[in-house]
Amino acid sequence: MIVKGGIVYDPANGLYGEEMDLFIDQGRMVEQAKGEEIDARGLLVMPGGVDAHSHIAGKKVNTGRIMRPDDARQGTEPRTAVCRPSTGYTVPNCYAMGYRYARMGYTTAFEAATPILEARHTHEELEEIPIIDKGALTLFGSNWQVMECVRDKDLSKLAAYVAWGLRAARGYGVKIVNPGGGEAWGFGANVKGINDPVPNFDVTPAEIIMGLAQANEMLNLPHSIHLHFNNVGKPGNYTTALETLDLLKDIKPSRMRQIVHVAHMQFSAYGGTSWRDFESKAPVIADYFNCHNHATMDMGQLLFGSATTMTADAPLEYGNARLTHNKWSNHDIELEESSGVVPMVYFRKMLVNAVQWAVGLELALLVKDPWKVLMTTDHPNGSPFVNYPEVVTLLMSKSKRDAEMATLHEQVPKRTVLGGIERELDWTDIAIMTRAAPARILGLEDKGHLGPGADGDVSIYNLRPEEVDTSQDHALVKKALANAKYTIKGGVLVSKEGRILAAPPGRTFWVDAAVPQADTDRLMIDLEEKFAKYYSIQIANYAVQDAYLPHAKVIRAGLPVPLQEVA
Amino acid sequence: MRSITIAAKNAFRISVEAENISPDKLAPLTIEQIGSLFVWQGNRQKKLSDLFVVEGDDGPATVEEMTIRLVGDFSQVKRIGEGMTAGVVEVQGSVGMHAGNNMLGGLLSISGSADDWLAREMRGGKVVVMGNAGNYLGAGYRGEKCGMRGGEIEVRGSAGAYLGEHLCGGSIRILGDAGDFAGAVNQGGTIFIGGSTYLPGAEMSKGTITVKREAKVLPSFLKTEIVQIDGLAFQKYAGDNVDNGKGELLVGVGSS
Repeated sequence: MIVKGGIVYDPANGLYGEEMDLFIDQGRMVEQAKGEEIDARGLLVMPGGVDAHSHIAGKKVNTGRIMRPDDARQGTEPRTAVCRPSTGYTVPNCYAMGYRYARMGYTTAFEAATPILEARHTHEELEEIPIIDKGALTLFGSNWQVMECVRDKDLSKLAAYVAWGLRAARGYGVKIVNPGGGEAWGFGANVKGINDPVPNFDVTPAEIIMGLAQANEMLNLPHSIHLHFNNVGKPGNYTTALETLDLLKDIKPSRMRQIVHVAHMQFSAYGGTSWRDFESKAPVIADYFNCHNHATMDMGQLLFGSATTMTADAPLEYGNARLTHNKWSNHDIELEESSGVVPMVYFRKMLVNAVQWAVGLELALLVKDPWKVLMTTDHPNGSPFVNYPEVVTLLMSKSKRDAEMATLHEQVPKRTVLGGIERELDWTDIAIMTRAAPARILGLEDKGHLGPGADGDVSIYNLRPEEVDTSQDHALVKKALANAKYTIKGGVLVSKEGRILAAPPGRTFWVDAAVPQADTDRLMIDLEEKFAKYYSIQIANYAVQDAYLPHAKVIRAGLPVPLQEVA
Repeated sequence: MRSITIAAKNAFRISVEAENISPDKLAPLTIEQIGSLFVWQGNRQKKLSDLFVVEGDDGPATVEEMTIRLVGDFSQVKRIGEGMTAGVVEVQGSVGMHAGNNMLGGLLSISGSADDWLAREMRGGKVVVMGNAGNYLGAGYRGEKCGMRGGEIEVRGSAGAYLGEHLCGGSIRILGDAGDFAGAVNQGGTIFIGGSTYLPGAEMSKGTITVKREAKVLPSFLKTEIVQIDGLAFQKYAGDNVDNGKGELLVGVGSS
């Protein structure tokens, strides 16, 4: 396949809007190839989009679907010759997830939180999401085995457990959500900060985060730890964010990447002591990111309208439910986590929501290096991912931001600095924040760029970057981004102007990390006991079988030890 | 005025979804164009003229001028008058589920009975049923927080269970009985029931429910005073106190 004459933005390979032809053969980018020609003359061409933090599969998502038949009614589309039927807006069905990402030119998305115990369900759903490549991050932050290893300061056993857990969950990386809080919530409590001990375990969130970060680097995993801070969503929580980030700054990375990726930073950049004096602390957070190189973030942008909050931060969801009087769900995941789901509507005229909206944009605009900030909405917590074009246009156009600001609660200019930010991102910044950076942050070598050997994922938009004024013509830009002119996934033309032409299955990435057998042997003694005493299932039925991942792509990592089979 | 008649060719065994039968959709079209609109029967898409005979004044007309008369068996035809904003739909007989849903204006008049979900999430206009109405009359669909928000519904017969569930506004008048849980989660609408009902107003936070004859009242309602309306005595209750509700429930005392 040949993509002819596009204006190519491939920042990972130093291409910033150069007119050139691209060649794809057998699903990969190559130097030369023959075959079908796609006319992209003068049009914006980027690698396929990569979403590093989205909630697209698993029990939480499904609980959202069950809770929200009202949501299912929005966005229904009948089946076509290629597509199965779609439903839903904030919590679409599996098929719709694949089609809608592909329409926007996205070809990869990662599910951000899966407990090991429920990983089988996650993979069943991931397998049903067509077209895009996927992966799932595995939750370790309130896990009994993790906390015991941290308490005993047994780092090699902890690393063995992380490797074992990733393999059991067929997971891609280490996700930590409100560390310790998930366990405390089992007793109706929460941890209030990173030095607040977890009930019955004699460890603090700080120790859990440090332990897992060290184990992560010891195992040389492609992704860093992926952290949802303590105190997320609370006024004044920016101090928790800064304390936590500072904790990690001296760890040595095992690869050329960050030490910690912060999930949905927007929800952790708040000042004030209550909802009354709630304000943005995005400038302080951005400043920290500008001065330090060990951390990256995704925006977690909030947009007005309907959303469904879902997180492994169960006490946060309980708070949301009390605040909104909405229907809610909480869930206890045995020895591993707790979680919750609450539907939400964000209003322009509600000061807190309006400030939250501004915080996400401030973060993306005030952090100077686009490689450190990913464009996300923490789908579907801040807004469904179908609204990414809205976020991109807000970042690219000051006039659009000003027009939006004028419709918000009148206090917003006093509580935020967004009005004074002149910066408008360009296509290079956007290509980094939606393609190159998420791939690099996740450690996906073949994604997010168009160099030879990369996956043949290309998105072509009906925009002429040399002509369109992104600052003024934001409506045009938004329309073009919502439905790519062409989306090519693995060398197959999957979507044209919003119409799905083919729906091949996508692959699922997972990480298999090697550890010394002796450490695993010590670990198994602990685990056998836990399964015998506490778990509701047998250890033999725990791990996800390969049959659940017919399109698996295994990435090897681990300690530099002779590779041995781990039980 | 423009008046057209749509006659069902037979009694449908497999139900038909005909959201196109509304003044807004039909007013700008000629008779021929109307016949070529699509409807679903089961999982098959068909032309309107395959299932119905369309006759009457040829178009176009404004929506306000439009009257649609439905004759024959429409009891298996769903979504009649969906989202209509003006005009008249007159059903000579009974009508299937979801008639008049999301209605914004105009008149939907049914000489027979209506199936479940009549006028669900209605926002304006008027619905009149000479016979009975099914369950979830004027309610919100599954998961929805607001049912009917405005407009007027009158049923000369009885209504089924969950009458006006999640009512957010508007008024419903039932001359006969209502089934269980009438006015559940009422958030500001008015319901009058000429007959009896069972456990009305559960979880209501605002609005008024009047039951002329008998009603089993939930224990979470607080008895307040006896009031006289049009010469009849009603016991007044406040509730629903499970959620600090400020609703008003009136139940007839010793009525005949």
